[in-house]
Amino acid sequence: MSEPTGPVLLRFDHASLAYGRARVVEDVHGSVHGGEAVALIGPNGAGKSTLLRAVLGLVDVVSGRIEVLGSTPARARRDVAYVPQVDTLDAQFPVSVGQVVLMGRYRDVGWLRRPGVRDRALADDALEAVGLAERKDDRFGTLSGGQRQRVLLARAIAQQPRLLLLDEPFNGVDAVSQQALLAALRRLQDDGAAVVVSTHDLALAHLACDEVCLLNKHQVAFGPTEATLTPELLRAAYGGQALELAVDSVIVAR
Amino acid sequence: MRYLLEPFGSPFMQRALAEALLLGAVAAVVSVFVVLRRLSFVADVLTHTVFPGVVIGFVVAGTSGIVWGASVFAVLSTVLITVLAGRSRVTEDASMAIVLTGFFAVGVVLVSRQTSFTSDLTAFLFGRILTVDRQQLVVTAVIGAAVLLLLGLLGKELLFRAFDPAGAEARGYRVLALDLVLNLVVALVVVAAVRAVGTVLVIALLVVPGAAGRLLSDRLAGITLIAVGTALLAGWLGLVASWQASVNHGLRLASGATVVLVLVLLYGVAAAIATARKVRA
Amino acid sequence: MVAAVVAAGLLAFAGCGSGGSDRAAGRSDQIDVVATTPVVADFVRNVGGDRVHVVQILKPGVDPHDYEASPADIQAIADADLVVKSGVGLEATWLDETVSSAGYGGEVVDASRGVTIRQGNGTDEQAAGDPHIWHDPADARIMVGDIAAALVAKDPAGKAGYERNAATYDAKLAALDAENAAEIGSIPVEQRKLVTNHDAFGYYCARYGITFVGSIIPSFDTSAELSGKELSDLVAKIEQTGVRAVFSESSLPPKTAQTVATEAGVQVVEGEDSLYADGLGPVGSPGGTYLGAERHNTATIVKALGGRV
Repeated sequence: MSEPTGPVLLRFDHASLAYGRARVVEDVHGSVHGGEAVALIGPNGAGKSTLLRAVLGLVDVVSGRIEVLGSTPARARRDVAYVPQVDTLDAQFPVSVGQVVLMGRYRDVGWLRRPGVRDRALADDALEAVGLAERKDDRFGTLSGGQRQRVLLARAIAQQPRLLLLDEPFNGVDAVSQQALLAALRRLQDDGAAVVVSTHDLALAHLACDEVCLLNKHQVAFGPTEATLTPELLRAAYGGQALELAVDSVIVAR
Repeated sequence: MRYLLEPFGSPFMQRALAEALLLGAVAAVVSVFVVLRRLSFVADVLTHTVFPGVVIGFVVAGTSGIVWGASVFAVLSTVLITVLAGRSRVTEDASMAIVLTGFFAVGVVLVSRQTSFTSDLTAFLFGRILTVDRQQLVVTAVIGAAVLLLLGLLGKELLFRAFDPAGAEARGYRVLALDLVLNLVVALVVVAAVRAVGTVLVIALLVVPGAAGRLLSDRLAGITLIAVGTALLAGWLGLVASWQASVNHGLRLASGATVVLVLVLLYGVAAAIATARKVRA
Repeated sequence: MVAAVVAAGLLAFAGCGSGGSDRAAGRSDQIDVVATTPVVADFVRNVGGDRVHVVQILKPGVDPHDYEASPADIQAIADADLVVKSGVGLEATWLDETVSSAGYGGEVVDASRGVTIRQGNGTDEQAAGDPHIWHDPADARIMVGDIAAALVAKDPAGKAGYERNAATYDAKLAALDAENAAEIGSIPVEQRKLVTNHDAFGYYCARYGITFVGSIIPSFDTSAELSGKELSDLVAKIEQTGVRAVFSESSLPPKTAQTVATEAGVQVVEGEDSLYADGLGPVGSPGGTYLGAERHNTATIVKALGGRV
């Protein structure tokens, strides 16, 4: 992993988040640079999804600030792409892989207009980037879970985002799809985009991410991967859910 | 073939056919969305909440007032329903059911004050497609055009929202606003349908064509084509059946209801075809 | 959704009626006349005779206050030379829009022209008044006169025949009138009180000096419902005035009549003996013609109230 070279694209400034009156995440602090990948790690219910939604401007920041691409989350939304978990989608929906990826272009196409030649080209390239170009005309639901996740990533890539947010994209995904996902993310980073990915997979974090944010309703740590994924900090993040196996390695329960 | 064309020699049957085809086509397109978004219950609620508007329009301004009364209530109830449904992540079935019955009861109370109560009630609930006049055809055409225009302009956003509401929200689309538009479209179809098939039977037009299409196709274009085709066929055959029965056999088959029955039969055919395909595969 | 389909099914077959129809167009030397009610159709047949082919819209036993025209009905009106209605708002809910839908541009003859209309008691009665004019033979004679005039105007070549037929029938109506008066005259005075299913016998009662005590459906048309208080008021009135019988009608279900009669401890006249209030009986039955139906009504009323037929 190289040193971060890009400008700060996402900055958390002691941000605390709330749904209505209930505070759900406290004091997140750190920044993400262009070209970097940051893993968001913590037990279920820690607030990872909430944090991602806050970056999108969909959750109230009750103290501190979140700065996205130098601006507020709502204003920056145009250049931020979100990849949801694939099992939130209806597999029976009569839409093709190509149509799903094209959806990534809709916002830029704008209201009242139809996607043009350039939009379709971008969509095709994005599908190519995740290695599924030959499945373009198949119904979305006929693909495997991992392949569908890749299609959702392609949809995000088609947006040409500067910041990419992924909500547990590696859950239950086969090895081939995992490789494809990582390769596509790598390419995006090389082009200067920043990636924030929530995951339970520590090995993947070690492999693919420059920094890690450990979260359990409040920030436990935010720093370079090696330094942050220590047994002590992981135990602090996962509470009693961490199991110590050997002196310097920890197995973490979901 | 002559059997199928014979009924349409007189102007009144031609008008009835035009109404059935226009209404059927528009409702069929909307029904694709209703089925994909699982809005059948919401559509049913809307058919009941538009009803008091029909009665009030009729009481205030006679037959030509129906459209206006219905339209006002269509807008009002759309807003109410959308807000209710948007309040929580899951649709509030109970509060919608209360709205449905409350509005409907208001409508029945109002119409029962008329001396021509039973006749008016059956006309509003089940339509009088045989006495549709040119003005009503124009109303249907205008509403139909508005509906298709809305769906055409907002189609891709409605599709995105239908498929991935979280993703649409993340992209900055106001999901509640999009839902409002679609619910309004459904309510407008109810307004257009009152004179022809009535508020009770219109739910069939708003659900069955799309459902039949979904059975037979996996692509949006295919589903829509089949839905429209089914609705058009049902309109045609239903009117033929009720005319032939009445004129040649002295058998009374209420025309609007017969169209709906044929539509359901066609759905049965679609289901049979779909099952046969699955068995063969 | 299921409810809608069931409703559609029930509705579609709701009017499954008599097989066969009299829709076939008349001969080329006949004029085609569409008559709305069975009574009007009967009059037209009697006056028109062989020169007229009558298409009757409302079948026996069908409620004329609330009707949805079928394709055959509309077709018949579209092809008609003349349309005759009973009038006084009886067909108000459906005839006008059916005629305009059929594209019929000719005259719609109002058989009630010239008849003195009895108004209601002003609550929620139809604005036009009581439409059941034909139960008074004197008014029936006026209706027949209107019909004859219309036929003559439409088909002058048949004038002689129409006028002769009308005169013959008029004589029969006059005879009926006299018969009715005599038979009702045989009812003891204090028993000349009538309770019927709906308020359809106002003209009849006025003509023959019968007191109309009340009706179960308190209106000229059949859709209103009795409130609890109105029901018990009626029962009280029946007991008070000593009415001997409650009469049900051929085109309405007898349940409420039975209930009222039971409550008041009086006889209910129903079934085969039901009165013909809104229409006629099946073709070929004694009640299938106007004269037959009216004779049946009078005989039934007179017998039940203690007179001699």
